Amino acid sequence: MTQPIANCPNCGAKVVFQWPSSVQTVCTYCQSILVRSDVDVKKVGQVADLPPDSSPIQLNTEGIYKNKAFVVAGRILYEYEQGGWNEWHIVMNDGTSAWLSDAQNEFAVSFAAKVPPQSLPNASQVQVEQQYVWNGETYIVTAITIAHYKGVQGELPFQYWDKTDVKFADCRTHTGKFATLDYSDEQPTLYLGEFVEFDDLKFKNLRQFEGW
Amino acid sequence: MFAKLYLLYGFMVLGGIATAQYRGWSLDRISQVKNVPRSIRDNPGAYRSIYSSYHHYTGGK
Amino acid sequence: MGAGQPPIPPQPPRPPQPPGPPAGPAKPQVKSLNCPQCGAAITLRSFQQAVTVVCESCHSILDAKDPNLTVLQQFKAATGELKPMIPLGTRGKLRGTDYEVIGFQRRTIFSDGEQFDWHEYLLFNPYKGFRYLSEYQGHWNDISVCKSEPGIEHRIVDRANYLGEYYRHFQTAEATTSFVLGEFPWQVRVGDPVIVMDFVKPPHILSYEKDKQSGEVTWSVGEYLYGKEVWQAFKLQGQPPEPIGVFENQPSPNTVNLKQLWGRFLLLCACLLGLLVMSDLFSSNKVVFSATYQLASGAPKGEASFVTDVFELKGRESNVEILTEANVANNWIYLNYALIDQDTGRAWDFGREVSYYSGSDSDGSWTEGGRNDKVIVPSVPPGHYYLRIEPEADARHPAISYKVEVHRDVAVFGFYGWGLLILFVPVALLTFKAISFERARWAESDHPILKSESD
Repeated sequence: MTQPIANCPNCGAKVVFQWPSSVQTVCTYCQSILVRSDVDVKKVGQVADLPPDSSPIQLNTEGIYKNKAFVVAGRILYEYEQGGWNEWHIVMNDGTSAWLSDAQNEFAVSFAAKVPPQSLPNASQVQVEQQYVWNGETYIVTAITIAHYKGVQGELPFQYWDKTDVKFADCRTHTGKFATLDYSDEQPTLYLGEFVEFDDLKFKNLRQFEGW
Repeated sequence: MFAKLYLLYGFMVLGGIATAQYRGWSLDRISQVKNVPRSIRDNPGAYRSIYSSYHHYTGGK
Repeated sequence: MGAGQPPIPPQPPRPPQPPGPPAGPAKPQVKSLNCPQCGAAITLRSFQQAVTVVCESCHSILDAKDPNLTVLQQFKAATGELKPMIPLGTRGKLRGTDYEVIGFQRRTIFSDGEQFDWHEYLLFNPYKGFRYLSEYQGHWNDISVCKSEPGIEHRIVDRANYLGEYYRHFQTAEATTSFVLGEFPWQVRVGDPVIVMDFVKPPHILSYEKDKQSGEVTWSVGEYLYGKEVWQAFKLQGQPPEPIGVFENQPSPNTVNLKQLWGRFLLLCACLLGLLVMSDLFSSNKVVFSATYQLASGAPKGEASFVTDVFELKGRESNVEILTEANVANNWIYLNYALIDQDTGRAWDFGREVSYYSGSDSDGSWTEGGRNDKVIVPSVPPGHYYLRIEPEADARHPAISYKVEVHRDVAVFGFYGWGLLILFVPVALLTFKAISFERARWAESDHPILKSESD
């Protein structure tokens, strides 16, 4: 899986993109945000030290979702008025990217849905308690969150280093499924997934908490 | 569990009834007397019924 | 994203640094801070998850996200305020997972002018997250946030559907937080009103909470816990408080499936009926003796008693039924019977009365008694028998004609009546017990089963 090695344009350290789907990574030495193109690796930003947070997940944590092994490749730490949450970028053993979100230890796994963006409600339309049907399931918008990234770590399947506030609409079904409408880009993106029990993911290589 | 026990209890009740029926038991109050002399056939008045002191109902409303 | 970013100023390249040691265990386990109001030590137990923390000594509600712990609110706690039954910082094992008690709040609702308080303990595990224990008058619940969105269905009594299970609406009320201690992963203030709706499906409870200001809705699901389970989980001293009354989702002490029990009862009734039909069919019910006698009018002349002809009782040892039919009208006849075994001298002695009265009064016509009587003599072996009959009647009676009939081996219908009663008693008792419990449960709800006079 290991991809050709490049050097960090900022500090010269070796940069390894471990996952073919990764577009962005953070240099482990100088914290530069690096984006790869066909030809080279460019520095597009710089992250400050990741603020302390309490997710039990960390880079290289392994787990199993629906009989598929996955490994944590990167994360985005979001911050909003009432707190923050983590979106862990996980790479499944078939090479697909997915997201494991951890909001106060409520875990959900989601995948980018293949839905034409023009079929999705735009940012100004979406409101709490609205209902949408995707893949035959009725989703209810339960919360609208304005958040921005507070930190990134590891490899991500897209470029993400803009600190502007973006809108997220969280949707739930009556059957334990969940969806996020992500308005980071001009075109909305839909992620579909479900809430998962911590124990069901059979994590390995979790973060240690002193005293626990 | 209880429903099972109850079923057992029910079948015991049914078994009891079947036994009572087969053995010819009765719910009526009947006294038994032993060794009634054969002479009663000739002199029925010599037999004294246990219930002859019965208090008769003479009622009506 | 990505579009229209300002160019990044070039930075001087830095030499590669050796990779640092792998991230060690998160620490410190307990972050020590001081209350900006009174200076008392503040403990944070949920790492960076705490959003608000309450100073235990001056009851200032502090912003845990702010390194300086800005005071957000201060509330007065009544002197002699109840201490949490499980002290903050206590660890225990609940359903196989270790949890630490990190927050405590008292919540209050006013219903029919009465104040009801319950307590909530916030539990934390860095892997499994948050969980709550609620306590109301010795009744406990193990509560977690719903993973799926329940749906409310409007019925005569509303119900909520959560993961395919229906929960019946119990109560809607406005609640406020009236006391807080410790830390919370959300903004907590004393006095903030929320609308709470409880739906129950014992031993589970589904609670809806809507913040009146933000409109944010939270659903949680709980399961009833007995005080002793909490005491065991957290290794607490002494005894848990004795629960008072019946709680919303308290499981009924009646663990019996009543539907199933009634099914069993009906099954047994069917068997009983079958047995009755069978015994009626298989009883020989043979008339072995029949005779009609006259009791002359007036006072008896000489010895009234007489004996019948000898008749034979055949078959196995079984019962004998003696039927008496007398044409009494507003008088009575009393017959002293003895069924005597001619060969052994064994006798069955019994007295039977036949009386029949009729008339009419202001209520209309009435009758009392009857012209027929039957009696069953138990377990009579086969043999040759005769009856000794001693009739008695009122001194001024008219002539009475009476018929005596002896039947061998009859069905005893009384057994089946008693059998039915014996089968019914446990079912009736359990049903009554269950109904009383449910009535007590729903008495406190918005939908009492039987409204009391005061309502």
